[in-house]
Amino acid sequence: MCGIIGYASPDAEPAGDVLLDGLERLEYRGYDSAGLAVANSTIEVYKRAGELASLESTLDGTDLVGSVGIGHTRWSTHGPPTDENAHPHTDCEGRVAVVHNGIVTNAEALRAELVEAGHVFESDTDTEVVPHLLEEFLDRDLSPEEAFECTLERIEGSYAIAAVVAGADAIYATRRHSPLVLGLDGETTYLASDVPAFLEQTDRVIYLEDEQIVRLAPSELVVRDGEGSVVEPPVETIDWDPEDVGKSGYDHFMLKEIYEQPQAVRQATRGRVSELDGTIELTAFPTAMRNELDRVQFVGCGTSYYATRYGAALLRERGVPAQAFVASEYGTERVPTEDGTVVVGVTQSGETADTLAALRDANGAGATTLAVTNVVGSSAARECDAAVYVRAGPEISVAATKSFASQQVTLATIASALADGTDRPFLESIRDLPAQVQRVLDRSNARDVAEELVGADAYFFIGRGYQHPVALEGALKMKEITYEHAEGFPAGELKHGPLALVTDRTPVVALVTGGDDLVEKTLSNVREVEARGAPVVAVTDDPDGVDGVADHVLEVPETHRYLVPVLTNVQLQLLAYWTANLLDRPIDKPRNLAKSVTVE
Amino acid sequence: MTDPTAVVLAAGEGKRLRPLTRHRPKPMLSAGTCPIVEHALDAVIDAGITSIVVVVGYKRTDVQSHLGPTYRDVPLTYAVQEKQLGTGHAVLAAQSHVDGPFLVVNGDQVIDHRIVRDVLEAHASSDAVATLGLLRRADVSDYGGVLVDDGTVTEIVEGPRDDRDYRLNAGVYAFETDVFDAIRRARPRAGEQLIVDAIELLIDERDGVRGVESDGFWADATYPWDLLDVAETIVENGGRTDRPGDEPSISVHDSAVVRPPIVAATDCEVGPNAVVGPNVTLGTNATIGSNAVVERCVVDTDVRVGANATLIDCVIGRGVRIGAGTVVPGGPGDVRVDDRIHEDRRLGALFGDRVEDRGGVRYVPGAIVDADAVVRAGSVVSGRNTYVRTVGR
Repeated sequence: MCGIIGYASPDAEPAGDVLLDGLERLEYRGYDSAGLAVANSTIEVYKRAGELASLESTLDGTDLVGSVGIGHTRWSTHGPPTDENAHPHTDCEGRVAVVHNGIVTNAEALRAELVEAGHVFESDTDTEVVPHLLEEFLDRDLSPEEAFECTLERIEGSYAIAAVVAGADAIYATRRHSPLVLGLDGETTYLASDVPAFLEQTDRVIYLEDEQIVRLAPSELVVRDGEGSVVEPPVETIDWDPEDVGKSGYDHFMLKEIYEQPQAVRQATRGRVSELDGTIELTAFPTAMRNELDRVQFVGCGTSYYATRYGAALLRERGVPAQAFVASEYGTERVPTEDGTVVVGVTQSGETADTLAALRDANGAGATTLAVTNVVGSSAARECDAAVYVRAGPEISVAATKSFASQQVTLATIASALADGTDRPFLESIRDLPAQVQRVLDRSNARDVAEELVGADAYFFIGRGYQHPVALEGALKMKEITYEHAEGFPAGELKHGPLALVTDRTPVVALVTGGDDLVEKTLSNVREVEARGAPVVAVTDDPDGVDGVADHVLEVPETHRYLVPVLTNVQLQLLAYWTANLLDRPIDKPRNLAKSVTVE
Repeated sequence: MTDPTAVVLAAGEGKRLRPLTRHRPKPMLSAGTCPIVEHALDAVIDAGITSIVVVVGYKRTDVQSHLGPTYRDVPLTYAVQEKQLGTGHAVLAAQSHVDGPFLVVNGDQVIDHRIVRDVLEAHASSDAVATLGLLRRADVSDYGGVLVDDGTVTEIVEGPRDDRDYRLNAGVYAFETDVFDAIRRARPRAGEQLIVDAIELLIDERDGVRGVESDGFWADATYPWDLLDVAETIVENGGRTDRPGDEPSISVHDSAVVRPPIVAATDCEVGPNAVVGPNVTLGTNATIGSNAVVERCVVDTDVRVGANATLIDCVIGRGVRIGAGTVVPGGPGDVRVDDRIHEDRRLGALFGDRVEDRGGVRYVPGAIVDADAVVRAGSVVSGRNTYVRTVGR
């Protein structure tokens, strides 16, 4: 899915800023590469793989002045997004720039024909045939509008297309089975894949129809139908809130993303786990790297750091020496690396500055590096020796949810791939995991528990073994979106200090799973807090086992012990979400926090 | 009618399909390799519509999570019908998103774009206030029967029993915005505001309701066993009704046998010596164990069938685990829906979402097991088991 934007105005406003602002509002349609073009007597094109931020830093304050411009944001699922594949695409001479959403089905034939005629292509995209066709027709002395029409006659498929031509001072656009809408703001006109791109500026819109061709010039807008006659399409007024778009009817992106986790887990394992063959295939993780691996150092920040704690524990259990480091401390600690050390950076965006710095340190020290990230073609993915994608899909909420589940599943898959021999019960469990996450979502009583506990002085989360990182993540989620005090501890550490904080106004959320031995120990920690009057929430796969001990139970289904943390974490996400909801917090945009932290 | 908005109704539970609708509304039940509502969305998009409002209500997160903010790149706007008080009430929930002539389709019936296109074209070429999509069917007694005189609708009868020349109401409508007022004015029926009652009002007052006969594809499941018939029709058509079927990405062991026709979504696995088909739909991430036999079944997303299980004529909900050696010999059987027994229906067994069958279970034809129930190993299950968490002795 992609988003396109266009802008034509007689005002001298920097077109670059307007386009970037619009692209930001289309980010829900994807954000793994972005670009824009501003047309004057020549055309300036800026495009980059990576989030919008990387395009912004490329521009680095350059004032892109021009009265017409187009932009594009992309989320690719196939193939790497490179700078070359990012839109806008241009012709051989750089006289034409085009953005496109959809697919040109006869691109291959057209490309062959154009190459035959001497055109040179720079990208692998279907889109690039469009600027070269335009060039072809412009060279036959057709006007830009005529050239655009002739181009459309040649292409098949579904598309929304916007093009600029050097010196023409206009945008030419059309749609066929892909959305395209115009926004009218006095003499300024916008076009976009969706209304929110310009809704801050105007609520007066025209929905273009299939085959209509529009010419957007400063102070002038002409719409023609498929036969070329000028039409006056109705202008409509938008009366809904742009903030709601992209949330699929949910109140917050965070809840939407929590509910997307069954799908995220399926995507994380798709094509990688084969129960039938008893194998795990991670083609992105080269066998050579696997064979030479002696020890692993993980680096990450925030939620991703907790994922690394889980990943390191999984590897240690399988006999691989593994440690997890907070990325911003990794360089300071001067952690020694030697031959056979693989440094794994876990980062949702692939742009986290602290994690990138740690990976660069490791690279400089001669270690092999692996990125585990959600964004194809991000800086981490490009700079590391190899990259494994977690495939969670776009995540908009600042508080990470589904990307953590995808990281957990991906790290469990990597750990299993590194272990010798096949672990069929694990492979079976990982294929059953999406249904179990769905079960937690369908049956969770976290909202009721949140209602009981809201208003507490502080929240403590305790867990042992694989549940310890979940306790840390549960506390972080609670902090981030409720602004309430929350801490996570290894269950056994409670009595070595933090117990002094426990009162009847500090609920303790205990993760009571992980085999009889651990459960018994955790339960004795629970009794310690119970004796101080603290309300106890048990998150467990054995509700009978906590009977009489816990005040509230959040149940998860039984699964392979490596995977229980995925399920318990979903309950803690819901607990934090509903607590924040009761407190009326701005859940998707907590104060002081940013989605992807690109400074050290 | 230029670029109208389509309102897709996806808020209703489908009570007669319980317990399949315990965790999701009827539009989310499986029809081929995707839920029913995707067929409705495909139909409107293939008819050229790019503005879509989805009305959601009952278990709405399931619809929203599945479809997301866009479908086939078309933005979806969600309108919430908090209480399900009829189809007309659902249309009112979408009113603020509609500002011109618009289309309404039921999101819980399988249709293709021909019906939508026929209705749009007929509506555009007349000055009707409402245009209904109609189908020629031998038996309309379970649905709305529509009487038409030279293209003008004269009467709508719900579940007609007489032998007048009825057409079947396909649940695809084009409306002028006047219909909102008519819905509000029509007398509610058993507390529900219905589209058909508003249309009757328009017939009486305006004489401006048209009907257009279409030979587009249409299928509906009223009762659980209907889902097997709907699936069979879709399977015979090779998957989606009018889109080329998604290529099945199914891993089949060399020794397993797939007997066509079947359709499969992504990530399916079929183990050694298993026999799958004919007339089977496999949802995403379904796993069929060694030596299992699966014939004429709807197998939904994330289902796992154990080794040596035999499943015939089954509707199997999402995330169901069938244990090793379980046998469902197939229909016909007597099925209880609400308080009525439907005799000799071709239904082997119906499993609600995430039933956990522990293995070695025998099912008497027509058996129904509620969502999330555990079925004890080695037991015999018959009849309707709802609100029962543990089934069998």
